[in-house]
Amino acid sequence: MAERTACLWCPDWPVVALRARDPSLDHAAIAVVERGERGLVVIAASTEAAAEGVTSGLRRREAEARCPGLVVAEADPQVEARAFERVACAVETFTPRFVLEEPGRISFPTRGPSRYFGGDTAMAVRFLDAVGAIGITDARVGVADGGFAAMLAARAAEPGAAYVVPLGESPEFLAPWPVAVLEDPEPGEAAELADLLVRLGLRTLGAFAALPDGAVLGRFGSAGTRAHRFARGDDEATAPPAPPPPELIETAELDPPAVHVETAAFAAKALAEQLMARLGALGLACTRVMIEAETERGERLTRCWRHEGALTPAALAARVRWQLEGWLTADDDGSVEELATSGLVLLRLVPDEVLPATGRQLGFWGGDPAAADRAGRVLARVQGMLGHPAVVTAVPQGGRTPGERVRWVPWGDPREPARPFEAVAAPGANAREIPPWPGAIPAPAPARVFDPPPPADLLDAAGEVVTVSGRGDPSAPPARLRCAALPDRGGEIAAWAGPWAHDARWWDRRTRVRRAYWQVLVAAPDGERVACLVAVTAGHAALEAIYD
Amino acid sequence: MVLAGEMVLAVPGPLGDLLPGGTVQRGTVVAVDGDPGAGATSVALQLAAAATAAGEWAAAIELDASLGGLAAGEAGIALERFAVVRRVPPARWAAVAAALLDGISVVLAEVPAYARVGDTRRLLARARERGAVLVAMGPWPAEAALRLRAEGSVWRDLDRGVGVLAERDQRVHVDGRGAAARDHVALVDAG
Repeated sequence: MAERTACLWCPDWPVVALRARDPSLDHAAIAVVERGERGLVVIAASTEAAAEGVTSGLRRREAEARCPGLVVAEADPQVEARAFERVACAVETFTPRFVLEEPGRISFPTRGPSRYFGGDTAMAVRFLDAVGAIGITDARVGVADGGFAAMLAARAAEPGAAYVVPLGESPEFLAPWPVAVLEDPEPGEAAELADLLVRLGLRTLGAFAALPDGAVLGRFGSAGTRAHRFARGDDEATAPPAPPPPELIETAELDPPAVHVETAAFAAKALAEQLMARLGALGLACTRVMIEAETERGERLTRCWRHEGALTPAALAARVRWQLEGWLTADDDGSVEELATSGLVLLRLVPDEVLPATGRQLGFWGGDPAAADRAGRVLARVQGMLGHPAVVTAVPQGGRTPGERVRWVPWGDPREPARPFEAVAAPGANAREIPPWPGAIPAPAPARVFDPPPPADLLDAAGEVVTVSGRGDPSAPPARLRCAALPDRGGEIAAWAGPWAHDARWWDRRTRVRRAYWQVLVAAPDGERVACLVAVTAGHAALEAIYD
Repeated sequence: MVLAGEMVLAVPGPLGDLLPGGTVQRGTVVAVDGDPGAGATSVALQLAAAATAAGEWAAAIELDASLGGLAAGEAGIALERFAVVRRVPPARWAAVAAALLDGISVVLAEVPAYARVGDTRRLLARARERGAVLVAMGPWPAEAALRLRAEGSVWRDLDRGVGVLAERDQRVHVDGRGAAARDHVALVDAG
């Protein structure tokens, strides 16, 4: 059975961290935003903002429209982690064995502390008191079997209170939760899985947990199996992770001692890369790491950080940096003392939990390693100048249109397609008989794909807009394309192919899109022909791409 | 020490047949220009493919975000060694290009309208110093070792409602120093 675990959760921690730094914001409506695929998106909101309807996942503009006078701040994980160090210290007085899941969330096994304080509830109250004493009143504690159930129990708890799931009842506790909560331990992949489960009619964790193991592995792969274990309330790895061999420990001596975060973080970054390279060579991935430091005066500082999935070198380096911020930086108002009273002389990274890597490690680049190193450095520098998502790399994936068939992944993130290349075969069907992505636009691919596509007019010989019926029949042959993005604003159509009619996501009324694609050759004023891909959606045409 | 053979980058495929010696000189600027639809982007992508075919790295700088990733793959680029910097503000364009030239063999860069001549000269010097190839897409106000101008394409297999876009003959005008002193007008089959 999964280990009995408690989770201490401070909701909307980014807001708390912000207020700790700037007390004038105490009663203001605040939203903390983070740059994601959809632009700036709210990740945390104060209760004042929440009362006006600002929720996480909202785009910045929408949030500002709902709540005039909203203070919008960008998320700063370093500040959040530094502020959270106070909470970590408070928890440390009760139990040394705790794991930082992220700034705002700590989990720890309850076996020791519960016995000492006389039961899970009594222990949880002690923890809440200790955290309340440092001014955090709306923290919640959840106790359950396994870390995932404990996290949800904390979410079910009232502010400043505990929610204890009785021993052995975690599966029943988990069953009614919607599958969307699977996104939390592991965003990205899990979000798509949750979306898919809902469409398959599996709306709760209980319904998902009831599926047989083999079927889940066959249909959803290893990511699905992991989520399935979470849903069943069994979130420990099936085989307990082996204790890592001591030679995997990476140590750096700092001479002269590092007093500034920057100096220590620089050493830590190299250390993190060495560790991950060594683990990668052994085919291992690391999910939990101990960060240890020693100071000139012989103090030893230790913290344990965990990451669902597996740590990448960049993710590990970021966590080490956050931790060093916590140790080496006092709060501006002096409310928190620096923990390290002198410079750091030693830094050590101990992989605490290693698992066989299941295809999540970075790909093998090929090519000359020295060139790879140089290229990696300059791309990291450009990411430093313009932000991580500004540098991308193309990952081919399944789809019908040139835009759909490529996923742009930020440089350094895993190159994984979001959509499979082949349509998924029904059990027993001959996979070869199922064409991959019926109705796909044939090769060659256009060299310019517009996002968003500029509006255009696709007209027939009589000057009427060309429409395409639900059965894929055009109202008339296209004769003219007008679009501001074309030389001389478009012209006569000399030749065409299509339409390819797509009825995307017909099973979902809200996201269903019916669209028809045309390949057209437009006569330019100098007698040249411009090959274009035009999409028509509900009578509105747009220039999707140019075959430049 | 750099060997003579390493001073050039071999360009495979039909574009290579148009270039002097089938190569581009490292440490130089190649200016690629053409009207939309004439095929300038495809020509630039083939130069990036030359870098990844040699096991090296390529990158592209875009002022918007319209480069076709699929077309890059079809041009023969090894996509895991091809980075794209998208939506670069025109004010930081030159700084980004200079940074990329430091460690990447072939850098495709969309040149903003009214790029400062001083910036372009500095990039020219940076490319020479690092032995990288800067492929300037758009109007390039400074000197270039090679100028390629896409002058249009003939799509063979498409008529009125018959056939699809499949094979094309592309006209590329080559103008440059040395072996490329005379103008080449030739057909590149990009089908």
